Amino acid sequence: MTAIDKGQADVSISQTHNSRSSAGASWLGGLRKLATSFAVILTTLLGLLVITFVIGRMVPADPVIAVIGDQADQATYDRVFQQMGLDKPLYQQFATYIGNIGQLDFGQSNVTKNAVSSDLARVFPATLELATLATLIGAAFGIPLGIVSAVRKGTWVDHLARFVGLLGHSTPIFWLGTIVILIFYAKFGLIPGSGRLDVYNEGLVEGPTNSLLIDAVIAGEWGVFFDVLHHVLAPALILGYAAMAYLSRMSRSFMLEQLRQEYILTAKAKGLDQHTIIWRHAFRNIRVQLLTIVALAYCGLLDGTVLIETVFSWPGLGQYLTSALFFADMNAVLGSVLLIGLISIAINLLSDIVYRFLDPRTR
Amino acid sequence: MNLLRRQFLMSTAIAAAVLAAPLGAGAATPKDQLVIGQNLSAMRGLDPNELNQLEAAEVVANLYERLVVLPADNITTPTPGVAESWTVSPDGKTFTFKIRAGIKFHSGNPLTAKDVEWSLRRLVTLGLAPSVDLRQWGLKEDNVATLIKATDDQTLVLQTPEVWNQNLVLFSLASFSTSILDSVLLAKHVKNDDMGREFLQSNDAGSGPYSLRTWRSNDLLIADAFKGYWQGEPKMRRVILRHLPESAGQRLQLEAGDIDVATRLSSTDLNALDQGGKVTIQKTPGFGFYYIALNQKDEILSKPKVREAFRYLIDYDGLSSTVMKYYGVKQQTIIPPGLPGAVDENPYKLDIEKAKQLLAEAGYPNGFSKVYYATPVTPEYEVAQSLQANAAKAGIKLDLQAGDHIGKFRSREFEIFSARSGERLPDPHAILQSYATNANNADEAKLTGLNAWRTAWDVPKEIQTMVVAAAHETDQAKRTKLYTDINKAYLASSPALVTSFMRTDAKAVRNEVKGYTGHSTWLTRWDTVSKGE
Repeated sequence: MTAIDKGQADVSISQTHNSRSSAGASWLGGLRKLATSFAVILTTLLGLLVITFVIGRMVPADPVIAVIGDQADQATYDRVFQQMGLDKPLYQQFATYIGNIGQLDFGQSNVTKNAVSSDLARVFPATLELATLATLIGAAFGIPLGIVSAVRKGTWVDHLARFVGLLGHSTPIFWLGTIVILIFYAKFGLIPGSGRLDVYNEGLVEGPTNSLLIDAVIAGEWGVFFDVLHHVLAPALILGYAAMAYLSRMSRSFMLEQLRQEYILTAKAKGLDQHTIIWRHAFRNIRVQLLTIVALAYCGLLDGTVLIETVFSWPGLGQYLTSALFFADMNAVLGSVLLIGLISIAINLLSDIVYRFLDPRTR
Repeated sequence: MNLLRRQFLMSTAIAAAVLAAPLGAGAATPKDQLVIGQNLSAMRGLDPNELNQLEAAEVVANLYERLVVLPADNITTPTPGVAESWTVSPDGKTFTFKIRAGIKFHSGNPLTAKDVEWSLRRLVTLGLAPSVDLRQWGLKEDNVATLIKATDDQTLVLQTPEVWNQNLVLFSLASFSTSILDSVLLAKHVKNDDMGREFLQSNDAGSGPYSLRTWRSNDLLIADAFKGYWQGEPKMRRVILRHLPESAGQRLQLEAGDIDVATRLSSTDLNALDQGGKVTIQKTPGFGFYYIALNQKDEILSKPKVREAFRYLIDYDGLSSTVMKYYGVKQQTIIPPGLPGAVDENPYKLDIEKAKQLLAEAGYPNGFSKVYYATPVTPEYEVAQSLQANAAKAGIKLDLQAGDHIGKFRSREFEIFSARSGERLPDPHAILQSYATNANNADEAKLTGLNAWRTAWDVPKEIQTMVVAAAHETDQAKRTKLYTDINKAYLASSPALVTSFMRTDAKAVRNEVKGYTGHSTWLTRWDTVSKGE
């Protein structure tokens, strides 16, 4: 990881040197770079679609039977088969699909019968809300915990942090979800059982973003806001705990690596206090690495929350994609995969940009 | 260092405060609302002429109405619905329905015979999965214009090209697929000649006791009581379906009182709820079976003695008291109880020795190996595993492969397959058509809708002839006699489709909920529901 980062840094530095020689070349170079990354992104997405499409067609589930049921006769089967465009050759189906995507038409879901784009606009914010909160929770607790255990390596704090981290890393998340529901919902009634909000708050907020937390704030519906918060808390804490476990272990090892460096020794010799050494010196040097793993964790949470979504009946992307797969609903599957691909690329780009602020060498 | 610890403690404290702040929800459901926990992931659009699935059918049953009603507690007696009366011509081919005056759709439009005509023609013309309800009586897109006609606003005439037992036609007109749609409203929502298909996926155009308010797939459906309902406004002001895919989740919410009805429960959870005393478990019989299909294109499996041997390898009694406790009732004959021709006869039991003897007589004293396809869902898979274990004792090695193999069953590419069937007509014909008719056993015939053809089973001709005759028979006593004969002949024929249990669908209903009665043909009503103590 570090070696690659340094390699990238070297490339950027040499490019910076070049750019100094002439302003025009820099402009052109920048354009070329943009075009290259754009081409890479497009190729990646296309590759993703091809693979998903091919695998989707190889899955034994029959999309026609998923629609008409197993008892329908052959005439009905043939009619629906044709209506769904499955009688055309595979490459032609794929070409049609790509052509439609070019016009931002992601097709209709066979299961929900809605346009896939409108389905995604509804389910993705639900997952985004959950994943964002979980990442925030994971980072807010995981990073300080990792740093504390690095600084106080070998003490009871470190052991406790390792225990907590190991537990979070190895506990199956759906099991934890079920246990949390069993204790805090069924036994004590402290958390709601499922969904994004209570039925009696249903329909009070219908906002522009489909993220109920944000929409409730925009509408000034504080009752709804707290209800949504109440619902999201348990799943977000569970996901956040898993993320925290990972982030704390990683931050600990990053921090330990820095603390072994000679500049730390120098700083100590200068008589700087511990706070300055840890936060002004060591921490600044692990920010880029931390950002990378937080971004990775965030990506993972955005497309991998299906278990928690099922346990908490959370109407998010994971559940949507899974049920689409079960019913061989290709348009929905392809649309979801494309969205996940786009999000991963976007998060990577975003963290690339933030690197430049955090690490002067990459500027 | 102190600073570090302080920061850590502070963030912990903030988190704890957030966690504790929004307490105090989680009350029981309101007295005038019904909340049903369901797995909504398979629920597709709500077009009555397109859907093909139990959960959606229950919704449509309440958003729309039909000419004929089959009451849940007396399902084989057609009673008036939108049609206040009907007559059947002496030749048995012409049905004349008098449409009740004064019924209004949710839109406010009056319901007339024209709407009925339009709706029934639409079902046949679209030709989607449920269109079989009318197509099987000979109605096609090129004859509906003459055979389904509104002669005035209150009269609808329906003709069938051939004579069928009148109950078969009337039962079909009670099915969710023959729901009456608001043709005036839908005329405004037509897109590309789709007869309103796009609109109907997530909107309703009905006259039923409930109107659709919100529907989000994999999430939630809300229906409001229709104030202008001709039979009076329903007691439950609102009915809510919540998507709860997990059985354990449904059980916990049912126990906590957050939902009133749970519909997809595992047998463990059903058992626990049954013991708990807060809920009643309803076992609604479905017109279908758990069956094992033995492919007759296979040389070994086509031997009658081998087929017979399989009947002795099912642990009927053991399964009855365990995995099948809530999902089925032991039944070895082909006509479910309560229907004409049903007989209470279950001559087979688990008998490994007898099976071995039959295998030896068939020429396989050392058994054989076969690939066995089963769906990995409860209780089908447990039943399959039980059969596998018993078969092994008799020398038959079954290679049990879990997966979605229905496509292979339809195209006859299997050796042994087991699954569960369900029909929507409360009449022996619906089941027998699939299990006991196979007009052309050739691969090219592609009668893929019939279990008998899928199994490549050339059903004995005398059984097939009787099944066809019974469907056309208008005399009820003669018909019952015919079905009794068919039932016995089927049992005696060592069928390639081995039935072991009649399917039942289990729901758990909280004790304070009255009048929620599971309907065998998927038409459970919400307007009969009330809540007491």
